[in-house]
Amino acid sequence: MGSFELVTPASEEEAIAWLARAPGGEAAVLAGGTDLLNDIEEHRITPRHLLSLRRLPWNRWNWIGPALEVGSTTPLVDLEYDPKVRAQFPGLVTAIEAVGSVALRSRATLGGNLGRSGSASDLIPLLLALDASAEIVGPKGVRTTPVDTLVVASRRPALGAGELIRSVRLPEPRPSAYLWQRIRPAQDVSHVGVAVAWSPADGRWRIAVGGVPPRAIRIHPEAAELPPRPSSPEREAAARRAAELLPLSTDLRATGEYRRHVVHALVLRAVGSVTAMREGSA
Amino acid sequence: MSGARRADAPLKLRGAAAYGTDLAAEGMLWGALVPSPIAHGRIRSIDLAPARALPGVVAIGADDLAGLRPKGAPPSETPIFPSEEVVYRAQPVAAVAAPTRALAREAARRVRIDLEPLEVWGSIDDLLPEWPEDGAPRTGPLNAHVHARHGDLEGAFGSADLVFAETYRTSGVHQVPLEPHACLAWVDGDRWTVETSTQTPFGCREDVASTLGIPESQLVVNGSWVGGAFGAKGSALLEPYALLLAKASGRPVKLQLSYPEEFQLGRSTLPSVIRIESAVRGRTVVGRRVRLVLDTGASLPGRDFTLGYSAGFLLGPYSIPAVEVEGYALRTHKPPFGPHRAPFVPQCTFAIESHTDHLARRLGLDPVEFRRASVWTEGSTTGLGQTVGPFGLDAALARASAIARAWREHLPPGHGIGIAGGFWSTGTGAGGEARLRLTPTELWIEQGEREIGSGSVIRGIAVGVEATLGLPPGTVRVAFLDTAHAPFDSGVFGSRTVGALGQAAEKAAEALRAELGRRCGRPEAESAKLTLRPGPDGLEVDLGDRRRPVRELLTAAELADGGLKVEGRHYGRSGTIDERRVLEGSFHPFNDFVGAAHVAEVAVDPEIGSVEVVRYAAIHDAGRVVDPVTARAGIEGGVAMGIGTALLEETQWGPDGRLENPSLLDYRLPTLAEVPRLEVEFIEGFPGAGPRGAKGLGEPPIVPVPAAIANAVFDAVGVPVFELPMTSERVARALKRL
Repeated sequence: MGSFELVTPASEEEAIAWLARAPGGEAAVLAGGTDLLNDIEEHRITPRHLLSLRRLPWNRWNWIGPALEVGSTTPLVDLEYDPKVRAQFPGLVTAIEAVGSVALRSRATLGGNLGRSGSASDLIPLLLALDASAEIVGPKGVRTTPVDTLVVASRRPALGAGELIRSVRLPEPRPSAYLWQRIRPAQDVSHVGVAVAWSPADGRWRIAVGGVPPRAIRIHPEAAELPPRPSSPEREAAARRAAELLPLSTDLRATGEYRRHVVHALVLRAVGSVTAMREGSA
Repeated sequence: MSGARRADAPLKLRGAAAYGTDLAAEGMLWGALVPSPIAHGRIRSIDLAPARALPGVVAIGADDLAGLRPKGAPPSETPIFPSEEVVYRAQPVAAVAAPTRALAREAARRVRIDLEPLEVWGSIDDLLPEWPEDGAPRTGPLNAHVHARHGDLEGAFGSADLVFAETYRTSGVHQVPLEPHACLAWVDGDRWTVETSTQTPFGCREDVASTLGIPESQLVVNGSWVGGAFGAKGSALLEPYALLLAKASGRPVKLQLSYPEEFQLGRSTLPSVIRIESAVRGRTVVGRRVRLVLDTGASLPGRDFTLGYSAGFLLGPYSIPAVEVEGYALRTHKPPFGPHRAPFVPQCTFAIESHTDHLARRLGLDPVEFRRASVWTEGSTTGLGQTVGPFGLDAALARASAIARAWREHLPPGHGIGIAGGFWSTGTGAGGEARLRLTPTELWIEQGEREIGSGSVIRGIAVGVEATLGLPPGTVRVAFLDTAHAPFDSGVFGSRTVGALGQAAEKAAEALRAELGRRCGRPEAESAKLTLRPGPDGLEVDLGDRRRPVRELLTAAELADGGLKVEGRHYGRSGTIDERRVLEGSFHPFNDFVGAAHVAEVAVDPEIGSVEVVRYAAIHDAGRVVDPVTARAGIEGGVAMGIGTALLEETQWGPDGRLENPSLLDYRLPTLAEVPRLEVEFIEGFPGAGPRGAKGLGEPPIVPVPAAIANAVFDAVGVPVFELPMTSERVARALKRL
């Protein structure tokens, strides 16, 4: 590993000011570091400065009415083991459990995962299905953006110069499910991840698919075309449409043909699982 | 006999054991290899000047070899650097050394390589169209070819009720030792020394001496602790480069592969296509033809031996009156083929044992009873005409069948159970020597192997000595000496350590016992009852009626020289095959016949194709278990590794000869989450050549694993999967889901 300077600002203002001044391409933002350090070790990037968010008070979460607001440096395990989060956002917990190992999840953060915007992220599809938004701070102040417009490309989130993700907001608890497929069940990269959620607020379904390059895709609620209580043929039709909407992408992990087959199967199962949750709570 | 604490455990837990990657010397330089950027090309020029322009950098290429090797040395059989053609990607075309590792890498990058690209044979599929399904090849580049047959094949196939033919494919698997290849070399006058992570210090010395053209007497190989080997560290790889760089620079040179380099340059196993044809009359296989077409990359070290040895397993452990076996080692533009734990036998076993299950299903027979009707027992004759020694596979299969029946009573829907048998032959034909050194307080085994992690050296060779001398387990100590000081031994491979070096040590113990008897004035016949035991002031000889301190029995010269030294040697004898059955190349007799039957229970997702191994039992013919903890640990590791071969591990080679997945992210080893509850049982009573009748267990546990899992998948879903690894996509395709 090459040498770098570690910068650990104590305040948000200091962090933004430092990042805004940092020479382009020479600085990287360090949250949990579980993905970033691989890039550094394998010489894909050689940053001269790492801006650590460790000392910022962003490692906690709050309930704001029904909404859950998660500070971006909250370790994933903190959410994973919280009883209320488990009850209200079951799909989110399943997605978190799909990330690496317990040891890795005790370092990895929700904001870091969004900031890296990996096409195989297990969290992004679920955040898309929950209509999550990110609160972004920067030299020009604070703005809020849907996760969908943030995770535009792998490793290159839509962030301006000096901008940082401060928190992630999940607007309402939703019955939700996340199902993935990989070559190795433990500690592998998903070649398909399917998130499904149903919104009590508008009575609509959300479907999102990850693992397929170039980025996780949210299928528009209208395109999902699922009635609030779908019949078996309606679920089948929705699963087929979801599979057809995806780009066919073949790589070392899976062929596009197989991915499409798996998306179809997992959408069907995930819709079934969310339906069962709703019936269970009704 | 019970297990003893592993003497290497405290060192390893404290981080005090120095592995190859830990080696360092004052003033050393870091070496780096300069890789060919393409898989096949004619060399126009290789310009080292830009590397040499960097401060403190030494660079060597093909043109420098004459000046570095001793005057008059014969030409090397193994090319150190190519001078005309590169034949695989990342082939070293030059080497550099620099004061830091980063600078060495930078220097390697600066070497200007000008190559004229030539046609690349990236896979055996490029060559297979020339290999008709049922006949001999018309043309094609070969590293080796072997062929044997016996019996009336035409009659068997001509009069068969059923000819059952299948084709299997397997992918390349890498040994993935957690410690990559690493060594430290220096040259002092005409004395060349290399410390290295190796399974075979003496084999390494032989390889390096012949490559560099130096006498073995001027080369010392000192093995470090080995962080995993699995066959990868059985022959020299980096040592010649490190020594040449040391010679050129006049400094010690450290050479260590990065993990991507380990994947690309390490000698791993490559893909194959296997064809099996069985002629069946009634319920009996009366004829069998098998063909192994193996991708062996740029070369096949050991050529006929390696190919014939692996192909010999493809007939299976069954008595069949008419057989034919043929092996083709194809040349492609990949790195040379290398041995991976039980070289290529798990793959051959996957094919033959899957075929056996499919055939039993076709004939409506119970797959275990079908096997047991023709499985070898002691006195059977192999297809190559060798008489089988004590062999417990039939007993293991019977036990496996009972376990499977019990599991089947509670089998959930979507699950399947599979059984596979397998066998291995230990490499006890390769010889070795061990020396005992008795001091007033300790008994040492001085020897030249290295502990590669299995415990076969640090425990395995001690048990026979302890048993012979009546010492409690864990009291005999093992010394690891370099090639200048150790008695000769062939090395850790072929599950031979306990059987071969263990026998040498046991013979030394018998000789020591006789010598101590003589010194106590006892006749030879009585000395067999003599034992050694720890006493208050050191070791004592217990004569039954009285005890004598060892201190009193050693001469002054011995006390001054570190103790009484007694040597034992084992140069094994192999069985013989019927050479008249061999038509081309060579096949090899087996030594100890070691059997194993495994039972796997899997859960298969019939739509997505994913396979989970939920339960596993391994029943092993061990001859006699001499150290239960070490034996069980070896089985557990072998099964875990076999699950990788069965379901996960695959080197993915591009058409341009590039390895596409040289990382532990995209080359998937099993984690503990993929390894199920494991039951291990041993069958005793079929003794091997080792101490107390022990048989080697290093390789047998991986042999049946892919086959047992494949048969369980077949049981669960009813369709065969013909390719390894059985990834979910391959299973889904076999199920015609896409």
